[in-house]
Amino acid sequence: MGYRERYAIPDLGIGVGLRRPHVAEVLNKRHPLVDWMEIVSENYLAEGGIQRSHLEAVGGHYRLVPHGVSLSIGGTDPLDRSYLARLGSLVRRLDAPWFSDHLCWTGVGGIDIHDLLPMPYTARTLAQVAERVKVVQGELEAPFALENASTYLEFRESTIPEQEFLAELAERADCGILLDVNNVFVSAYNHGFDAHAYIDAIPADRVVQIHLAGHEDKGTYLLDTHSDHVRAEVWDLYRRAIRRCGAVSTLVEWDQSIPVWDVLVAEAAKARAVRSETLGSSETRANGTWMTAL
Amino acid sequence: MRGSSVALDATLVARAERLVLPSSRGMSPADRLDVYREQFWLRHVPSLEEDYPTLSWVLGGPTRFRDLAIEYLSARPPRTWDLQRLGEGLPGHVADHAPWSEDSLARDAARLDWAFMEAFDAADAPPFDPSTLSAAPEDAWPLATIVFHPAVRALTLAHPVHELRHDVKNSRSPVRPLEASTHVIVWRDAVCCLQAIAVEGTALALMAMLIDGAPLGQACDAVAHLVTSSEGSDLGPRVSAWFEQWTASGWVSAVRFPA
Repeated sequence: MGYRERYAIPDLGIGVGLRRPHVAEVLNKRHPLVDWMEIVSENYLAEGGIQRSHLEAVGGHYRLVPHGVSLSIGGTDPLDRSYLARLGSLVRRLDAPWFSDHLCWTGVGGIDIHDLLPMPYTARTLAQVAERVKVVQGELEAPFALENASTYLEFRESTIPEQEFLAELAERADCGILLDVNNVFVSAYNHGFDAHAYIDAIPADRVVQIHLAGHEDKGTYLLDTHSDHVRAEVWDLYRRAIRRCGAVSTLVEWDQSIPVWDVLVAEAAKARAVRSETLGSSETRANGTWMTAL
Repeated sequence: MRGSSVALDATLVARAERLVLPSSRGMSPADRLDVYREQFWLRHVPSLEEDYPTLSWVLGGPTRFRDLAIEYLSARPPRTWDLQRLGEGLPGHVADHAPWSEDSLARDAARLDWAFMEAFDAADAPPFDPSTLSAAPEDAWPLATIVFHPAVRALTLAHPVHELRHDVKNSRSPVRPLEASTHVIVWRDAVCCLQAIAVEGTALALMAMLIDGAPLGQACDAVAHLVTSSEGSDLGPRVSAWFEQWTASGWVSAVRFPA
């Protein structure tokens, strides 16, 4: 039995990341072309306040899934238990089907630089991260997915290709994978590997969610800015990913130069069309469950 | 923001050479590491500027604010995952470091902006229930403690900087205010909007003592010593009026009487 089946991971359909400029649009009504929303966990870990009140209102219309940026699963500092406790409380409050963060580290020696820092991929780091994932899953008692991050450097020390590292990590720690196909494209460009081979090496049954986003060409490298439409090459990778993984919850991220709500919804609608066309299916929504008629 | 912050030093360049592969697209190990250095500033400086709109305006805009932010972040790198707390030490930094400390309006603006940040995501509290007062005997009031909503902040400032912030946030041709001692309450209202209002100095002094946990009688006695004898004679009715304002505004979440 595959990971998604064992943990009853649902296909939520097509979603978008909830960002502050769009809160007014989604507070009081559900958009028919947006099935679910992902939230940045750290924005909602306070004990109260404005963000939390928004969450409760938006949660009345959409299934919400928390996606973190601060777990530092690849770090060497001890896991932040107070952060984990707050995250666990959020996951329970949302009754989230899974939660996710990135394969990265975010700081060392108590300093947190709020970035998704690359790590060396070795047998030693693999063992370390697998143990930390087990601790996180044990504390939160919910399915956990790790996302491949965009990276801008590679360590000489690395001995394992990232996709193999991620696949083996997911197997050892029995966790899910959030496959960000834009990040695959960005890192493949920056490091000169084959993005298609990367997608093919990811264990399909462990992919619980797919991310789509835009990036920026800085000349000598690509920067994962989430500031634009999804590029044609990334749509191609998405097609390849869902041909392998099937109908997996898909989410469009847009974090800089955030467009008006309708533009974001149109990008989500494009994801829906690409997914339907690729899977050769027509999808209808009935009683809150996605029905796929092959 | 390239060039406005410290570039990689020779030690880091050497370490990058030792640890990082060059890219096939012509980037040296140091160039690749530098992507992360640059992103640090691009992420944190605008975040601080968003948190401190009044201070940024007082300093003359983004360029000078960026100088302050880089100085602050270099002295105090972030030590929490919570970006909301990134600017926690900025009012203290502005107060303690020239040239920023030489501008009393900048000091006020930093304190007020941070009070708004704290009010933004302070814990929630249930609304005040007036029926809890009906059973209290008259002689229990002096020993009562008043619990304020966790989002309430009381500030004494040298300028009416809350009016400046309002103008800055609403793009209403802000003007640098003249010095005038001002007592301001910042809070989050019932519909989760952030508010600021000037109050009497005596009212704020009383509130500050009550927020620190002083019983009502003790706090009123202390405030009576701060006012002139003519003001002191009508302090009782004024305290009643203030209490009505505090409860009506949602600043009070409970009144506790000794068992």
